[in-house]
Amino acid sequence: MNDDDLSRLLQQHASRHPAHERLRAAVRTQMTLQAAAQQARPAAPAWRDRLAWLARIHPALAGAGGLALGAALTLAATLGLPRLATDGTLPDELVSAHVRALQVGPLYEVASGDRHQVKPWFQGRLDYAPTVLDEPLREQGFALLGGRVQALQGRPTAVLAYQLRLHKIDLYAWPAERGAAPERLQRRGFNLVRWSDGAMQYWAVSDVDGPELERFAAAWRAAAAR
Amino acid sequence: MTDARRFEATVLPLLDAAHNLARWLLRDAASAEDAVQEAALRAFRYYGSLRAGEDAKPWFLGIVRNACYSALARERGRADVTLLDEDGWDQLEGQTPGSTPDPLAALGARREQGLVDAALRALSPPMREVIVLRELEGLDYRDIARVAGIPIGTVMSRLSRARAQLKRQLSLAGLP
Repeated sequence: MNDDDLSRLLQQHASRHPAHERLRAAVRTQMTLQAAAQQARPAAPAWRDRLAWLARIHPALAGAGGLALGAALTLAATLGLPRLATDGTLPDELVSAHVRALQVGPLYEVASGDRHQVKPWFQGRLDYAPTVLDEPLREQGFALLGGRVQALQGRPTAVLAYQLRLHKIDLYAWPAERGAAPERLQRRGFNLVRWSDGAMQYWAVSDVDGPELERFAAAWRAAAAR
Repeated sequence: MTDARRFEATVLPLLDAAHNLARWLLRDAASAEDAVQEAALRAFRYYGSLRAGEDAKPWFLGIVRNACYSALARERGRADVTLLDEDGWDQLEGQTPGSTPDPLAALGARREQGLVDAALRALSPPMREVIVLRELEGLDYRDIARVAGIPIGTVMSRLSRARAQLKRQLSLAGLP
């Protein structure tokens, strides 16, 4: 056997192991999360940088006015913390909450595809009873994975986790006063669809395509209206 | 195009080659997938280290290869195995992935595949990786040297020793 014979044998008969579609999807999801995490990192206010820079180039200041500078830096650090979320920052907070659940978990604290398991789990954890839908959504390809309670704007909020193929969809739900037609937004590559049925407002967050997420919202609204 | 999009366009088409290499270096499918995912994450972080116009395949396969060796090191409970030379590997031969050929696989209709796979599995990882990169992935000596982090001369001597071992084992098995 010469080198060419060996090459032919290897190339014809050795097993090849192409990447599974599952691996491709996992890598893609990971990229989305990484890109989102990079953008989520809050930029330090310029004047905080300047104070730190001053401390570096004037070590004397650190000796003489050390206390004052320390206090100023502490104050600066405090002021630099993310502001309390107002309505305008809610979509960003939702995306951050969704990413956090995907990255560090838990995606659900009660794992079940059965609403009779998930809905009672919220009892005593919230001051409202969220609607939980399973079968009508499963028929449309959205499988209920479970539910969790996550703090949102300082309030415990119901979250339902669904899965469409390899994508996760989080549905945040809390009481609302007015009804509102679905509206789609985009933040950091994630899609959000929000609507309200007059009693509850809903925010769906996911990395699925916008139209797919709108289909989820439509399926939910149709089933809830039944 | 954003960095993330460019990265996807660069790395996603290389996942087949990456997974093939990882699967040949590691024991099972799950650790191979983990290693590729870990490599993709590292590659994303160090995407800046890929120079414009540079071929991404050896760059990414090098990261995959290192992720595989880290996984092997973790499996063996060692801090670092990259210092082990081939002799060191030979002493660990009994622990190399699948070094016991599955006799049933060789009996069936896919006799050649079973024999060729078993012969490849019997190589030490440093020899197996140069063969996989050369024969299955079609990399040239220079690119193999980049992936494995060794001089071109070492690539050539490893390839020739690996080929000699494969020929011996396959001839004994009655191939071709």
